[in-house]
Amino acid sequence: MIPFKYNVRNLRARWKTTTMTVLGIALLVASSCIMFGLVEGLEKSLKISGDPLDLIVLRKGATAETTGGFDTGKADELLTLGGILRDGEGPVAAKELLNIAVAERHSGTYGNLIIRGVQPASRKLRSDFKIIAGRDLEPGKGECIVPPGIARVYKGARIGGLLAFGEKERYRVVGLFTAGGGSAESEVWADLKDVERNTGRDGTVSCVQIRASGPAEFDRLREEIEQGAQFRLAAHPESRYFETQSDAATFLKAAGTLIAVLLTFGAMFAAANTMFSAVKSRTREIGTLRALGFSRRDVLFSFLGESLLLSLLGGGLGLLATIPMSLLSIETMNMNTFASVNIAFRIGPWVMAVALVMTLAMGIFGGMLPALRAVRLEVVSALREL
Amino acid sequence: MKYLTYILRNARRNPARTGLTIASIAISMFLMMILTSFFAAMQEANSASRQYNRIIVMNANGFAGVVPIARVRQIAAMDGVVAATPFAWYGGKYQNQRVLFAQFGVDADSVFDTLEEFHLPDDQLAAFKADKAGAVVGPKLAREYGLKIGDAMPLQGDVYPVDLKLNIHGIYESPRNSDQRMVLFHHDYLDDQLRLLGPSSSSGSSATQPSGRAGNAGIVFVRCKDAAATAALCKKVDDEYRSTDNPTRTQTEEAFGQMFSEMMGGMKDMVFWIGCAVVVSLLFVAGNAMAMAMRERTMEIAVLKAIGFGKGLVLTLVLVEAVLVAGLGGALGTLGSKALFDLFDVSPYTGGFLPFFYVPWRVALAGLGVSLFVGFVSGVVPAVMAAGSSVVDGLRKVV
Repeated sequence: MIPFKYNVRNLRARWKTTTMTVLGIALLVASSCIMFGLVEGLEKSLKISGDPLDLIVLRKGATAETTGGFDTGKADELLTLGGILRDGEGPVAAKELLNIAVAERHSGTYGNLIIRGVQPASRKLRSDFKIIAGRDLEPGKGECIVPPGIARVYKGARIGGLLAFGEKERYRVVGLFTAGGGSAESEVWADLKDVERNTGRDGTVSCVQIRASGPAEFDRLREEIEQGAQFRLAAHPESRYFETQSDAATFLKAAGTLIAVLLTFGAMFAAANTMFSAVKSRTREIGTLRALGFSRRDVLFSFLGESLLLSLLGGGLGLLATIPMSLLSIETMNMNTFASVNIAFRIGPWVMAVALVMTLAMGIFGGMLPALRAVRLEVVSALREL
Repeated sequence: MKYLTYILRNARRNPARTGLTIASIAISMFLMMILTSFFAAMQEANSASRQYNRIIVMNANGFAGVVPIARVRQIAAMDGVVAATPFAWYGGKYQNQRVLFAQFGVDADSVFDTLEEFHLPDDQLAAFKADKAGAVVGPKLAREYGLKIGDAMPLQGDVYPVDLKLNIHGIYESPRNSDQRMVLFHHDYLDDQLRLLGPSSSSGSSATQPSGRAGNAGIVFVRCKDAAATAALCKKVDDEYRSTDNPTRTQTEEAFGQMFSEMMGGMKDMVFWIGCAVVVSLLFVAGNAMAMAMRERTMEIAVLKAIGFGKGLVLTLVLVEAVLVAGLGGALGTLGSKALFDLFDVSPYTGGFLPFFYVPWRVALAGLGVSLFVGFVSGVVPAVMAAGSSVVDGLRKVV
């Protein structure tokens, strides 16, 4: 077996070529990581980390919270049902009212924000809800809390600011909240009563969120809400509801993956190019190695190893470059609701693993042809070559 | 010109390397085309709408607000207005599946006057007008779902608590860069059903539709008599309704489309930065390939200079080769992607995310320009080195 040191030294000896290739690969790997991170983040940003016992109640036929409104009367009755988990403050269930309104960004452009009118229990229903700055809103005072992504981008959305939607609707921002990176982090939260008053939509709710006290109660509640003559509503298990919400992202996910794969191919050709020239300029060396008694297989593995090392260097550098990206998020539009959605890049273990696998594939496929060429050389003619 | 053979031979003498360089540039440019065309095609369609002199009225508060239906007639009666139609987003389901094609409640009498680039044969238009449950559909949608004139098309309500049982009476024709996947139906048909539910109906409220209440035009498309009238009308409409419960925001169709693409927010910047990263990495890849090619030819270049080729000529020969190789890859990537998306319509496979997709000429040519630039920059260092190399050293060097 040819010592690995030989390959390391080779890369060092041709440091200019090595650096260029490594940088080229690094940039492409970083770009494809960003794409994958975005796809991961997109998935996450449309979901919520809820409890398996959570139900979302919508009007029958409606597919989303933003479209599924019904009567407050029914909603109030829902909250009194047996089987709902209760704690010291009453049932863990909340009526919520959603509004989508136009707000101005710092850049002078406009985006559609979801304003969710919430009740106190709404926070308990999102297990990761946390106030990270300022304080929580007080009901009835026209206050709101926003996630950091919105605070950063929209005018008047910092703590102490006044977030204005058109002429009539405005809320004082009193705090920043996070909710485990889920869909709530694309929404402005205000008090239910305030939203009702501002939008003139008292008498209806968009949805009711309920947590059942146990699996048996969960099934019973579902049946009662869907079949009971006084309701005739749809009770979606929260996990399944969010599954269908992220269906809309299927195309974006496919597009992101395609882009990442194309980037990988680009990088693969770059690696192959460098290896080809590495083999070509070392023809005589390879002949010498063979003459010394190294087998064809040794030579093949040696060159494959060198190619792997080259692409791993590039891939590693590319991954390092994306680490600061995981602190960033971008704001864009959800094609399903036309509302703004905040996507935090998630360069998690999964993305890193995929990037690593792609880098390895790049090294192996990029190095395979050049290595095969090195193996096929006839010892005598290789030695004769200038 | 007489040196072209020499350059071509040089480019061909290491087919593996040249091929790989071309391939990596072609793939990267193909990618750039996909990324940039998404926004460019949208913008091109937007700018194209300028010629139709249309303005769009929406609630000042966004799509969640109401534009009362009575205003369509009021606006249509204003000076300088040719035609106006409501465009009420129904957002329903088809075959009980959430679908990504738009369904709009419109005024059958004026919609094809307002959208003058949309055409419908006279007999189909007459049939559409005559049937209150009538509908016309886009050609792409008809192909995709196998819809024919005379077919029934039941839609289930999602935003609204009412279902529509539509009958297809026509398939419209429209320019390529417009939405060819729409369903247009009578606004009255939807409105009457909502009215039947009554104002205090037990259902119907959503974030995009303040309540199941009837009488909402959604947005209003208004065609003005000429370009000069558009700005004045925008102002006039907004002034008219400023102090009502539902103030409006009126803008040209171009500005309205612009607003949509602005909603994409940070996505645009990200696409830009990824594009930049791809170009820079291409510089490394192509530059590397060119530098390797030159290193192999050190002796040859020394011979060229020894037999009297000037510095400038050597420089040019190397640069032209670099630009040629990169340009070939770029042409493959850019023109190839343009041809691909022109011949092959990807919109059915995007789940309605893209109503149309093509690579505008502007983008393809810009991409070609970028690849030539990449070739030039990648060739500069090797070319200067080759031109400046010492003849004696080069001849002595054993590669």
